[in-house]
Amino acid sequence: MANGARTIAKRNVAHWLAALMRRAEVIAPVAAHGGDVAFAPIASPEQVLFEFGNTLHPPKQFVLPQTDPLAVIRRNGNGVEIEPVHDDRPRVIFNVRSCDARSLAFLYRMHASDLPDGSYLARAGNVTLVSLACTVPCELGFCTCCDAGPFLKEGTDLQLTDLGEHLLAEPGSDKGFALLSEAGDLFRPARPEETGLRIELEERAKRLFGEETCHFASAMRRISTGRVAEKLWEAMSDWCVECGGCNFVCPTCYCFSIKDMRQDGSWVRCRTWDSCQYQAFTLEASGHNPRERRADRIKRRFFHKVSAQYYLRDGTVGCVGCGRCVRVCLGTTDMPAVVAAIREGAWNG
Amino acid sequence: MYVQASEGRPVGVAPSENHPVSRGKLCARGWNAHEAPAWGERLTKPLVRRGGRLEPTSWENALELARASLTTLLEGGKSVGVLGSARATNEENYLAARLARGALQTGNLDSCLRATYQPFMAGIAVVADGRAPAGTLADVEASGCILVLEGDLASNHPQAAHAVIKAIKAGAKLITVGCARTQLARLAALHLPTLPGERAVLVASLIAAATRESAGALEPSLPGLEALRASVAALTAGDQLRQAVTWLRQADRASILVAPEGGPPERVAREGTAIATLAAVTGHLGRPGSALLPLPARGNLRGACEMGVAPDLLPGMAPLNDASAVARVARAWGRAPALATGLPAEAMVGTVNGLVVVAEDLSAVLPAGQHALEALAETECLVVLDAFVTPTTRAAHIVLPIASFAESEGTTTNLEGRVQRVRPAALPPGDARPGWQVLAELSAVLGLPRSYRSADDILREIAKVVPAYDGVSERVMDEAWGTFASPLPADREPTLQPIATDRVLFALPAVLALDGVFDWGSDPLVSFSPTLCRDHVSRRKLYPSGLVQMNKADADGIGVRQGWPVRLISAHGEAVLPVVLRGELEPGVMLVPYAFRELVTGVLGGRSEAPVRAEKVQ
Repeated sequence: MANGARTIAKRNVAHWLAALMRRAEVIAPVAAHGGDVAFAPIASPEQVLFEFGNTLHPPKQFVLPQTDPLAVIRRNGNGVEIEPVHDDRPRVIFNVRSCDARSLAFLYRMHASDLPDGSYLARAGNVTLVSLACTVPCELGFCTCCDAGPFLKEGTDLQLTDLGEHLLAEPGSDKGFALLSEAGDLFRPARPEETGLRIELEERAKRLFGEETCHFASAMRRISTGRVAEKLWEAMSDWCVECGGCNFVCPTCYCFSIKDMRQDGSWVRCRTWDSCQYQAFTLEASGHNPRERRADRIKRRFFHKVSAQYYLRDGTVGCVGCGRCVRVCLGTTDMPAVVAAIREGAWNG
Repeated sequence: MYVQASEGRPVGVAPSENHPVSRGKLCARGWNAHEAPAWGERLTKPLVRRGGRLEPTSWENALELARASLTTLLEGGKSVGVLGSARATNEENYLAARLARGALQTGNLDSCLRATYQPFMAGIAVVADGRAPAGTLADVEASGCILVLEGDLASNHPQAAHAVIKAIKAGAKLITVGCARTQLARLAALHLPTLPGERAVLVASLIAAATRESAGALEPSLPGLEALRASVAALTAGDQLRQAVTWLRQADRASILVAPEGGPPERVAREGTAIATLAAVTGHLGRPGSALLPLPARGNLRGACEMGVAPDLLPGMAPLNDASAVARVARAWGRAPALATGLPAEAMVGTVNGLVVVAEDLSAVLPAGQHALEALAETECLVVLDAFVTPTTRAAHIVLPIASFAESEGTTTNLEGRVQRVRPAALPPGDARPGWQVLAELSAVLGLPRSYRSADDILREIAKVVPAYDGVSERVMDEAWGTFASPLPADREPTLQPIATDRVLFALPAVLALDGVFDWGSDPLVSFSPTLCRDHVSRRKLYPSGLVQMNKADADGIGVRQGWPVRLISAHGEAVLPVVLRGELEPGVMLVPYAFRELVTGVLGGRSEAPVRAEKVQ
């Protein structure tokens, strides 16, 4: 990604952001209530945070909202009229962390392959990702195990690196190149010592992860060859309280339900987030539930995310190592804990 | 927790990483909390009953009609009452108390779930010198030993269950008490089985084990110890109980969590006294870092009680004969409060002639269930304030539409006593107004005017009436995540009391009891959420005629299998329900989910448990 790298002085970043805001909705990490940090549309460039632990709520809500209107259904004489809802406003998601940029690329591939999802692609296709590389690991992240950080080689439109007085910007797509050329004189070509510093920062960040390893490869082998004992899931299931939080904060989870909402005399068909950990997620109309036991649901979740299926298509697992599930789990069945259990063949709570 | 809105409607939820209680973790009901206000059937206009139908009207007409109807009843010497709610804010509950004891001059004031919680607090206070429940969930998480009187925390109190799970992971010993091997019981170092309604007997046996040990292990100065020891002398305390007591005593920090269980208020109070006594004799009552927390069945139950929504209490949970409390209330209201002890919620329905209900669906919450609706038909004037259309609003004469939690401002008080601010994230639909505003207007038309400009004005008035809330208004503004109401000063030792140890009733072979005291599936915040209602809806579809749970050995004993009908026969009556096998249950215990309680009213004879005989339906 080093080709075409340019730098911007930090004092000019507000001008750049102001220019971006004129052509798109700019979504960035901002200070929320009581020390929380959240991605939100900004009203002024000064709101944007550059030094922050990643947000607990991922930015996927801006491409896949928790309540996502797909079509409006109206009565028209004796028939009905269906009008698709396409939200293709231009958006820039700014200062998104490497893991999240990687997850948004993952979600795009998922919605673009097989049966393309028009509604999703309309929204996501008009998103430009400006990611901020991580020069220090976050507390719970394990992106190095998932090839999703701390720096990216692909999957972002423009990658920023904090060099102190300047930001280095590396375009990763045509959209990224376009952003830089639109910004004109605010950026200048990067100097060799700046690109050198960026490489050094990446190496240092990787070293700071230390021995961090999530053993995905070993878990994937065991899952793909049927070498995980059933009793493991059974033991694990008493340590999950079925909150669904792991799904909701997972930047790569995309399962949904479809429901119609009555609104001003018409119906709006909505896609809404759902959790594969909820008992009724797989409930069939007959009343039969193929995954009535919680142990089966936990098993399905990890068989999906850590199976070879994603690896064959994406070259990675269905996890970007953001560590959010560790933070939100109301039990103890987060990704690193379960992967460790699969590898060791034992669950210890 | 953040509710996200788009164009004034709730569309999502985000967790708060820095919230000191949740720390970014939400339960399923939290993650889907935006759904009910957005997808639910909302009340958007005041409605009045004309010719048997509810028709839209103006706010002026609706309030005037409420005034005229209630005044006519009062002038005719008829009775009226007010029901507050654990689903409403502190401000709304305080104004409900003001409406009852101030404007309507009646003691008929209660909330539907109070009897599952407030007697327990009162029972603790007998021992703990008037102090409220102590500690926080963070204390639970840091405890070395935790005693849980189960009611299935993992389902009903997931945040509390989380604190327990984290503590176990850190090495804590968990002791569970209950009639089912629930999820937490399976994680416990020790599970002490008991029959429904007999948890307090088991706690008394633990006290016996504790007081029988060498006297040196006990605080010698605890007043009342000898009388206590004598009162439990007849109880046996086996190895398991002694082990439990040893763990409790050895822990630097130990916590006790009590899930609500049905039963008469006196029994709930006795259980509170027993549990506080156990905490005292194991050295944990009032010890910093040790927690003793009864779990409210619903969000703001503690707040509703503290605002005085009870037939025999004033705001601040002061007794009616507390002269200084009466004076504070009279000063704030400009009128002396009614000091009569009123009827509890269940007794009010169908007996009082006029009833004002704030944010509660009576048939969903009261033990009488659907029968409550039939009883409501006797009410001459039923005024209901709610955000949602419920069976209770359908039965009303006057419906006043109010904001849901997502559109409200005010405060709530959590199980720890933390007073937290609720901020509006969305706009109330149609003509709906904030609940506090409607309650203030209703009191005003009934002759007790006072202009509140905001919910915060009400909180400032609460601070003048409820000493523990003094300064809360300022602190809750300054501090991001709420503040604690000040606990009462603890300047005395616990005062031990003899424990009543009479067993409740049971002669085996079998006991039938209700499972839980609250059914989330009938609550509008769940039943109107497309995601959350699925489990409950599917269960009702699968078991339209209810169900009774029993373990496999008991089912084999009478020759029935999963789904087969059994006849349950007690001294009070009988009922036939299909069996659902539940291996977790203790032998002889049969449970009917609270959601299906109406189906066994006759068998239980108005109690929450009864000895029964079960037989196969031929």
